[in-house]
Amino acid sequence: MRFQHFSFHAMGGPCSLQLFARDEALLQRAAATATVEVHRIEAKYSRYKEDSVLSRINASAGDRAGTDVDPETAALLDYAAAAHEQSDGLFDATSGVLRRAWDFKARKLPQPGQLEALLPLVGWHKLQWRKPRLVLPHKGMELDFGGFGKEYAADRAAGVLAAMGVHHGLIELGGDIRVLGPQPDGSPWRVGIRHPRAPETPVASIELSSGAIASSGDYERYFELAGRRYSHILDPHNGWPIEGLASVSVLAEQCLVAGTATTIAMLKGHKGRDWLEQLGLPWLVVDAGGSVEGSIHSIGVEVS
Amino acid sequence: MKNTSKALAALTQAALALPGVALAAEVQSDYLFSYYKEGDISGSKSAGNASERYEILSHMFRVVAPLGDSAVGLNLTYETMSGASPWWIQPGTNGAPQVVMSGASIREERVDLQGTYSLPVAPFQTAFTLGYSTEDDYEAINAGVELELEDDENGVTWTGGLGYSSDTIKPVQLTGFDRIDEDDKSTLTLYGGAALVLNANTVVQGSLSYQKGDGYLTDPYKRIWLTSTANTAQESRPDGRQSWAASAKLRHFLTQQNAAVHVDYRYYHDDWEIDAHTLEVAWAQSLPDNLRIIPSLRWYSQSQAFFYAPYYNAPRGDGFGSSDYRLSPYGALSARVDVSKAVGALAFGGGLEYYKASKDFALKSVDVENPALIDYWSVQLRATYRF
Repeated sequence: MRFQHFSFHAMGGPCSLQLFARDEALLQRAAATATVEVHRIEAKYSRYKEDSVLSRINASAGDRAGTDVDPETAALLDYAAAAHEQSDGLFDATSGVLRRAWDFKARKLPQPGQLEALLPLVGWHKLQWRKPRLVLPHKGMELDFGGFGKEYAADRAAGVLAAMGVHHGLIELGGDIRVLGPQPDGSPWRVGIRHPRAPETPVASIELSSGAIASSGDYERYFELAGRRYSHILDPHNGWPIEGLASVSVLAEQCLVAGTATTIAMLKGHKGRDWLEQLGLPWLVVDAGGSVEGSIHSIGVEVS
Repeated sequence: MKNTSKALAALTQAALALPGVALAAEVQSDYLFSYYKEGDISGSKSAGNASERYEILSHMFRVVAPLGDSAVGLNLTYETMSGASPWWIQPGTNGAPQVVMSGASIREERVDLQGTYSLPVAPFQTAFTLGYSTEDDYEAINAGVELELEDDENGVTWTGGLGYSSDTIKPVQLTGFDRIDEDDKSTLTLYGGAALVLNANTVVQGSLSYQKGDGYLTDPYKRIWLTSTANTAQESRPDGRQSWAASAKLRHFLTQQNAAVHVDYRYYHDDWEIDAHTLEVAWAQSLPDNLRIIPSLRWYSQSQAFFYAPYYNAPRGDGFGSSDYRLSPYGALSARVDVSKAVGALAFGGGLEYYKASKDFALKSVDVENPALIDYWSVQLRATYRF
């Protein structure tokens, strides 16, 4: 068994693969194939590349005829629809346009009337989605797969690695982790959950032999103004950042499901804990006051 | 963990509908069809009418499903066999042995069900099997356990296993001779092996196995010819047989050709004094569009069992005697081509094989060839679907 740790940059952040393979040739081939798969998904759903599938969809906004999408995109749209429904409309792949009003670098609040002007462009329910045809009825509407593209890429990378015969590995894309079986000696992978206010300090350390863990927090993009924290987690109903939780981590079989659960819990704010409790997946929450709560310790995971 | 909520079920279902995400819950199903046909025995080697030899049609269905860390598999085989088989061998008018076939063509069905359960029991990967097989005149149950251990530091994978089978035979055809009504036998198998990764492109495997058979090892449908009485008698074999085998396999991947060379050798010895050698060479060529083609050649040679003879003047002092071609000295050559192709979740393939046994292919020279040696054609078709 050969082991190697591969690092690369994708999906707007640092990514890594920790892989075991029976020989060097397979190890290198598997890492290259998984990396290419991540880059493929990034390029396909990039908001910045004009020729991406997502850019072409967004360019069709306002066209009543809409546009036909490929099967992979169709399945992702179905997924976004399911997440929208299960979150009572909080998880919304059309809410990306609100970013135009929020400049986290300049640390400025939106101009009066700016959010009100954007809100008509937000709302998954305004889309007409009948496979394979998607209609974005209003000019200026935008889809954004940022809320789940990275997690989907982690699951896909796991899929291509497993198909190549790699059964011991850990895939990390910008903090979200998907595990492909335990380490070759049977021992689990040890994964730290960072503290949202002190990213270098783990708030918990868990052991994973399969499945995924995703985290979401108000620490990813935010600014503070007059003692208040404005994070990038925006309520699609009014365009304002949601307050309540500092970070949420969830364990699930698929990274996609784990990631969606963390996003929805963050969007639920103070009601996030109750929602996670009902969802039934192991979870860990750090609230704005820094207190830690969750069910992750109850599945044999140590919380420090 | 709590019961799955409606929200979790909805999200999971939508996630699993995505291509390539449903990896943890992948179920593999296979269907394998094979057709096997033995060539007729030429007139000079046969006494009486030449009859159609064995023809076997076989269908196999297999499902393997993951169950958390473990996996369960179910294997169902349905086979129909028809044709005549060699009954005994007698001297022809020129002294050359001629085979007498078992007159009427038989038609038999066999159903075999095998279940497997594999799970990791640190530091091993273990697999348990349990099987049952039945046909008109035969019934068998078998059980086995296999352990696998990966030694990553040294690049070695160790494998070991134990198998046991208990069989009952109740002859139904050709009744009325001096033959058993019912008898049974048991077989114990022990094996162990290691696979060593030499470098990125080369893997070698070595294994040893031991088998011990006890009970009724005779073929109740075969007879021997005694020239002293000019009559036949029931064949008879020892009621125990121990065998040992050692095998070595080499797999070498050629990067430039995108192909792999397989070389396998096996040596076999048993206490009926049969020594056998098998050498197989294959070339596995990967082609564009997930196409793979594997031509292979196999050579086999064995010496005879100590009590074997084409026919006998008088019964042997120890009472044993068999004219079964499978206990005779011979060699065999076979050539095979196998093709496989993957299309998304579906993979299919097929193979064609021709096999011919002859005294001329044996390692050591053989004086008298058993006239019942076979040649056969075999065709296989298979399809695998993952969902």
